[in-house]
Parts: sequence; structure tokens; C-alpha cells
Amino acid sequence: MKPLRRMWMRMTNFFTGRSGEQRLREEMQEHVAMQTEENLRAGMNPAEARRQALIRWGAADAVREQYHAEKGLPWIETIWQDMRFAVRMLRKSPVFTTVAVLTLALGIGANAAIFTLINALMLKSLPVADPKTLVRLGNDNNCCVGIGWQDNGEYSFFSTDSYEYLRKNVPEFEELAAMQAGFAYRPVIVRMDGGSDTPRSVMGEFVSGNYFRMFGLNAAVGRVLENRDDVAGAPFTAVMSYETWKTRFNSDASVVGSTFRVNTKPVTVVGIAPAGFYGDRLLPSPPEYYLPIESMPGIANVAYVHNTMQQWLYMVGRVKPGVSNGMLQQKVNTLLHQQLAATSYFNSPEGLQKLKKIHVVLSPGGGGIQSLQQGYDKQLRMLMAASGIVLLIACANLANLLLVRGMARKAEINVRTALGARRGRIVRQLLTESVLLAGAGGVAGLAMAYAGTRMLLAMAFPGASDVPINASPSVSVLGFAFGLSLLTGILFGVAPAWLASKAEPADALRGGVRSVAGGATLLQRVLVVVQAGLSLVLLVCAGLFAESLSKLEHIDLKLDPVNRYIVHINPQTAGYSQRQVGELYRAIEERFHALPGVEKVGITSYTPMEDNNNGWGVQVQGKPEHNAIASYIKVNADYFDSVGTRVVSGRGIRTQDTVDAPHVAVVNKEFVRQLFKPGENPIGQHFGGDVKSSGDWEIVGVVEDTAYQSATWKDHMMYFVPPLQRPLSAAPDSIDKDENMYAGAVVLKTNRPVPEMEELARKTLAGINPNLSVVRFQTFTAQIAGQFNQARLLSRLTTLFGGLALLLATLGLYGVTAYGVARRTSEIGIRMALGAARIKVTAMVMRGVLAQALVGLALGVPTAMFCVKYVRSQLYEIKAVDGWVLAGAILVLLVAAAVAGWIPARRAASISPVQALRVE
Amino acid sequence: MSEKTDVKQGTLALMVLKTLDVLGPLHGWGIARRIEQISGDLLSVNQGTLYPLLLKLEQEGSIESDWGASENNRRARYYKLTRSGRRQLQSEVQDWQQTTEIMARFLAAKAEEL
Repeated sequence: MKPLRRMWMRMTNFFTGRSGEQRLREEMQEHVAMQTEENLRAGMNPAEARRQALIRWGAADAVREQYHAEKGLPWIETIWQDMRFAVRMLRKSPVFTTVAVLTLALGIGANAAIFTLINALMLKSLPVADPKTLVRLGNDNNCCVGIGWQDNGEYSFFSTDSYEYLRKNVPEFEELAAMQAGFAYRPVIVRMDGGSDTPRSVMGEFVSGNYFRMFGLNAAVGRVLENRDDVAGAPFTAVMSYETWKTRFNSDASVVGSTFRVNTKPVTVVGIAPAGFYGDRLLPSPPEYYLPIESMPGIANVAYVHNTMQQWLYMVGRVKPGVSNGMLQQKVNTLLHQQLAATSYFNSPEGLQKLKKIHVVLSPGGGGIQSLQQGYDKQLRMLMAASGIVLLIACANLANLLLVRGMARKAEINVRTALGARRGRIVRQLLTESVLLAGAGGVAGLAMAYAGTRMLLAMAFPGASDVPINASPSVSVLGFAFGLSLLTGILFGVAPAWLASKAEPADALRGGVRSVAGGATLLQRVLVVVQAGLSLVLLVCAGLFAESLSKLEHIDLKLDPVNRYIVHINPQTAGYSQRQVGELYRAIEERFHALPGVEKVGITSYTPMEDNNNGWGVQVQGKPEHNAIASYIKVNADYFDSVGTRVVSGRGIRTQDTVDAPHVAVVNKEFVRQLFKPGENPIGQHFGGDVKSSGDWEIVGVVEDTAYQSATWKDHMMYFVPPLQRPLSAAPDSIDKDENMYAGAVVLKTNRPVPEMEELARKTLAGINPNLSVVRFQTFTAQIAGQFNQARLLSRLTTLFGGLALLLATLGLYGVTAYGVARRTSEIGIRMALGAARIKVTAMVMRGVLAQALVGLALGVPTAMFCVKYVRSQLYEIKAVDGWVLAGAILVLLVAAAVAGWIPARRAASISPVQALRVE
Repeated sequence: MSEKTDVKQGTLALMVLKTLDVLGPLHGWGIARRIEQISGDLLSVNQGTLYPLLLKLEQEGSIESDWGASENNRRARYYKLTRSGRRQLQSEVQDWQQTTEIMARFLAAKAEEL
């Protein structure tokens, strides 16, 4: 208790600034006066009495100091003193301070930025109740609508029937919810009823009625979706995201309860989702509306919701406490097999064979559907390694700077020791300085990290408006980077001081002035060599990624993006039925052709180099079964010209290929290469989906292999058919469920750039039908460039890191060389006095620099060669380090080393012997 | 000075507490004087060093102080024992007596007794 109380008093005194000096002075006055009186009584004369009284008091200064020490917290005051002195010292050498702080800021900032992104993307849970008890059925990102599973049988998305069956029969789930797998590919068009604003194409996700309850979420305003909303025939309802409510509707409470038009259908917004909730997966554009599954056929007019076989849902459930994962997985699989075995697709001997392979793997659901994560995982890890290397280099650099400084301050420390400073006091002073430096670097790094994360996000998701990732760096990350730099600072800032303070002052003051052996220490050289080696590794990486990007961008896509505009549309959301689209397409062709400058108006299901594909089985008539899959696109007559695909033989699609005309198809070269013998003429041949329907289409032409989906997707077959023609064998009534009837894009080719095309397209479409809005508008060039975003991001970041590393290594090399030259001033002076030529001195210094760079290279080249195998999967058609890339990296490093050496070398050569000998 | 005995800090604190216990509230000079008198000037204390000790005891809560008027009408700071100070004194006195008893017995012992 006592020491505690004393400590507390000291602290209050310290912080309230009560020094007690006044009190002591008064008490001393009184004391001396009383003693003086006593002395007078003893018969002394007044002067002597007072003198004796003062003598009895003792050493006044010592008492005061003791008193003061007792009153406050002297060590804090000393630290404060040290800090002020440290700041003064740092300000006296601004170059050193700037370089050191910058080095730290870059190292800490780069790492914190990357780690923050990883933390936000990979490690963070959804903002829902108790994410640990959530389990996802399935573990990959198979998407979006269809019948499919991984080659190894892993089954991750489900039909509505499967969902309902499992929900009913697995009581181990507190709640089992389902959500649309591919909502990102099917925006909804939303307009506030009675509002004057134009309809917006936004993300809308169809989810089961218990979706919010499963996540344990309540509405911010109104209510969340409930099971009663998710019933066929129920009035259409929706929950709006908090973000949309805030930014679009200014948090207006009257939004709840009002009617919106979603794909022209009236939908009541019943509530606002909780703030911060961004849906069940991390996406650049999170859903703005959550709608019940059962309203999907009515709103989105899709048939697959109640098709027994079509898979389109992901499932996430909350598991009851105490249920073992293994048991649950077994049960889910057994039940799923039961349910699927009853469906027409598996209800045959071959079907059952297939079914045996199918299985569901349960995965943790707390992070949501990991679609984005899987896409970025490897790259982020690679970037993390790169930024780690930068941090290492930064630390090495800092170490070097501090070592150099410590050595340079040897004399100062010797003087201070000689004047009586204790070793501990000196070390503490230097420690304060290092910590201060690291602190400043940390703060600058924090700013750098924040800016860096924002930059990374902007680079990673260009054009995305509200990515639900927070740019503020995570505490643990900052702590790590900061701690490391602090450790470096302490280790390399204090060690030289310790060594220096150990020396006998007299010896130290005498020696070391005329040393020939001087120059940089081995430790310093090692640090520089390591820096050079590491930066070579990063430079090689940067080179490889640049090469990969350049290879990607120079792939012949077999299309022409100049003066082309892509207008994504969705007639379905504007209320068109499959039987009405013919008229719409004619109107689109007419109206757009009437615009000035427009030469071609292509209408198509989807366009080249966009993230979309529609694959179907194909069978050429009269050929053995070949189990081939080809992409299927409906295009109008202008389409091939509008995207710049050339017809290589036969003809393209013509306007005469109407719904009643003979059914024709144009195929790509790959289709011919894979399905016909060399030299065989495909024109006039027939094909269809399978043996029975193989007479559906007659091939009338062949086009070149324009790149679809992505530049790297090769060897895929495609066929193109007229917009209104359907397979001959298809039942006439099935048109009402045929989603392929809907076009996804209009491609406009103009004879000159038309900057106002977006506005024109919007007006033209609204002129045809006010509900017909632009889902997405892009120039063709922008759409293609978008496909290279990730590659470009990687290339830029590796270049950035490579550059950073090179800069730091160059600084390090320069620092050590400059220091070496400064230390050897007198030695060089003697050499020159003895007749060494300037050129020889220059060469001597340069030799030293280049020797270090070469040792760095000798370490770096094999390391780089070795590291390639970790990044190979991220590179396009690059298997090993290219000779040119390696040569380039080596050259860059050598040039940097030469520059770093040249400046001190010149200084060495300009030393005048007379002056040099006079130094010190 | 060499014939005078050095005072240990703990001992001095004990003397201060005992002085205040016996004499009641007292100012610094009074305490110093008293200690000198009792010890017969054997102990040499730089009187000033008493004040940091008083402050320490006060911050520990064993004594408290306030300004008051001295006998010849001077302003002086009076120190007095607190309840916890009294308790501290009792236990320290006990300790001290024990120690001295042991030491006395030990030093009085003759060779045959050992």
C-alpha cells in the first residue's frame, strides 16, 4: 500500500506541476531562523549565528534535489530532457533524419497497406451475429445457373428443390438460408414509384425468407425479410441496403413502406438492412436490394427458380451448438443424394453413376461466399512477400544509417564520457533518439499505409463506388511493422553507442584519427550486399510481371475496338416477353442507325472480352458422339462488323435469316478445327445439341477466333445464330421460358469518336421504351482494358516495390560508400600526396562499390531464379526467368550502384592532399 | 565529524515517528533538535536532509502537515502522526527491539556459552 500511495502522490504532483519548491524554501527559512535564534541564545554574534545555522542545514542544493526527487517523477523528466535533446540532434542532421524517416515510412506503409488489404479480404468475418457458427454447403465458386460440379465431384451450388429438401430435413441447422449465386451478373433495374429519376441498374440479390434471421440480423428501419415474404403469390417485398438508403435517399424514413419498380414490377420496401452489412460475400459492388426467392420468377422472369435440375443457389446455415461437422456433412450428403436421385437427370443407370461422385464439402461460412477471396488470394500473398522484402531492405537501410551515425558520433560520445557522463545515461540518450526516429517513421508510415490502402483499393477495383473494405490499417499490422522498425532502431542505434561508450575516453580521444584500416565495417557491407540482392529479386519479379502484362496485351484478340461502344441492356427487366423481342430489336436497329456517325448496330447475347459465357453441348450430324461444349450466342446481321470479327469462309448472319427462314449458324475456326477433319468443308453441314437434335443448325459460314471472356481463354468453340431463330427441335411453347431470346448488349460502330454516345444511347433506348435503361455503358477499348486490370495491378505493384527496393538499396550503398570515403579522407590524402592519380582514387572507390553490388548480384540471381516458381502461376506464358529480364534487372542495379558510388568517388578524387592531412 | 555515527535512513524515519509520537505536532526544526538532544549529539544529521524524509513519510501517509504558528509567533509547518503512522511506529518499534535484543544477547555471550 505505502509504495503505491507514494507513487500516486508523485504522479499527481508531476502532472499537476506541484514542485514543492516554494514550500521547501519557506520551511528552510523558518528552520534557519529558529536555529539562528538558538545560536544567539547560546551567545553567538548575529552574523556567526546565522552562518552556523546555515552550516547545520547542510548542502542546500543536495537537499533541494533530494526533495524534488521525492516530490515528482524525476525519470520522466529526464526522458523529457532526452527527447528534447534528441529532437535537437535530429534537426541538426536533416538529411539523415529525412532519409531514415522516409525509409521507415515506406517500409511500414507498404506492409501495413498490403496487410490491411489481406486482413480485410481474407481474414475478416461478415458483420453478422456469431460468424463462427455459420457453415457453407460447398467450397468453391461455381456459378451461376446450370447443371454442374467440379471434376472431382465437389458440388457447391444447388437447385431450389435441393435447398427446400435440405432445409426441411436437416434439423441440425438452426436456420439454413439460400442466396442467388450469380446476382452480380444479373442486375435489376430499379426506379422509385412516382419519382422523376431515371431507372438505375443496380445489384439485387434474391435470397430465402430466413436469410436475415439466419445471419442474426435485424433491420435498421422497418423489418427484414421473413418467410411469409418468400411464398409464391405473396406481394413483392424487398429490403434495401443501408448504404443505398443513406446515399441515395438521405436516410429518409419514408422510403420504408413505399413502392419501387423493380424490373417494372411494383415492390414494397419493407425495411433497411443494418448498417455495415454488405451481403453474404465481399464484392466491389454489394447488393442494394434483397428480394425473396419466390418473387424472382415474377420480377426477373426466369424459369430456373422452379426447374428441378437447374442449380443457382448457394447455401449458408447456422449450426446448432454441439453438432459435429463431420456428422453434419455426412447427413447433408446422404440427403442430397436421396433428393437428386429422384430427379430426371440422375434417374438412370448413367445418372446414378454420376451421382456417386457428387459430394458436398462443408466449409466455414463466417467469411461468407469466398468468391473475391479466391480470385485474389495468391496475388495478395505474393504482394505480401514483396512488401516483406521491402521492409527487410528498409530495416537494413535504417541499420546502416544508424551504424554510420553511431560511428560518426564516436568522438562526441568520447568527449561526453570524458566529461563524466555515465555510460547508462549516454546509451539512454541514444536509445531515446532511436525510438523517436522510429516513432516518427511509424507515424509517417501510418499516413503512408492509409494512402497506400486507398490506392490499392482504387487500383484493384477501378470504377467501383462503394467497396465494403475499410482503408484504415489494422492495429496488429501496424504494431508488427512498427515493432520491427523499433527493434531495428534500438539494435543498430544503441549498439555502436554501447561500444563507443565502453572505450577508455583518453584512448578513444587519442586513437582512430589516422587509421588506414577505417572505412565501412563488415556488418555494413553485409547489409548493403543483402539489400542489393533482395532488390534484384524484386526487380526481376517486376520485370517478369511487366513482360507478362505486355504479352497479355499483345495477344491478337481478333477484333477491332476503335470507335466501338458497348451498351449493355436487359429487355427482360423492361418487361418484354420472349415473343416481343423481335420488334424491340428492329426498333433498336432503326433508331440507332438514325444517329449521326453510327455505321453498324450489332445486337448480341454478350460481347467479346466481357466476363460472360453460355456453353452448350454440340453434336455434328453424322459424326460419332464427341461430348463437345461450345459457346452459344445470338447475333444480328451487323454484329460481326460491329466488333470487327472477320468472316473467313462462307457468309455471316444476314437480315434475311428471319425466324421463318432456314435455320443457320456461323461457327468459329476452333469449332471447325476440333469437330471436322482437316480439309473437310464445314459449310452446309448440320449440328445440334445432341444426336437427336443434330439437324438443328446448318453451318453457313466460319469466322475467326475472336477472344471471348478473357484474352487467355483459348481453344474454345463458338457458334453464332440469328437473334430470333431457335433450335428446330425445340418445342414451340418453350419460347416462353427461353432466356436466350434476350439480347445482352448493343454494339455500336461509329465512323468517328462520339464522346456523348452514352447520353445518346440512354435517350434512344428511353425513346423506344421508358423502362429500357442502360445496364452498363463502356467503350469497347475500356471493356478490353478492364480484362487486364488484375495483370496491370500486379505489374504496377511489383514495379512499385521493385523501384522502392532499388531506391532503398541505392541509398544504402551511397551511405556506406560516402561514409567510407569520409573516414578515409586522410588515407586518400596521403595516397595522393605520394602521387596517386585522381583517376586511380576514383577507380578505387568505384571498385569497392561495384564489388559489393556484384556480391549482391551473386546472391540475388539464384534467389530470383528460385523464386520464379512461386509466382509462375500468376504469369502468362512465362515459365522461367527470361534472359532479357534478368539482364535488364542486373543492368538497372549496376547503374544504380554506379550512381551511388560515383558521387562519393568524385568527392574522394577531389580531396586536396594538403587539406586531407590537416583534417582532425 | 568522524567520531559521530552515520544514521541509516530507516532509523532516522523511526526516530522522526517516535519524536512525533512522544511530543505531538512539531515543526521540522523541533524534530531535528529533539533527535540531536536525545542522541546526545552523537548522530550527525545535516538538518536539511530531514525535509525530504518528512516529505516521503507524508506522501506515504504516515504523517501529515500544515502551516501553523510557532512558540515565538513565526509561521511554521507542523507535522503530526496519522493513525497509519502510529501503527507503523508500533510495528517498527517491535522489530527494532527484537533486533537489538538479539544483538545484545549475541554480543554479551561469553566463549563458554557458545
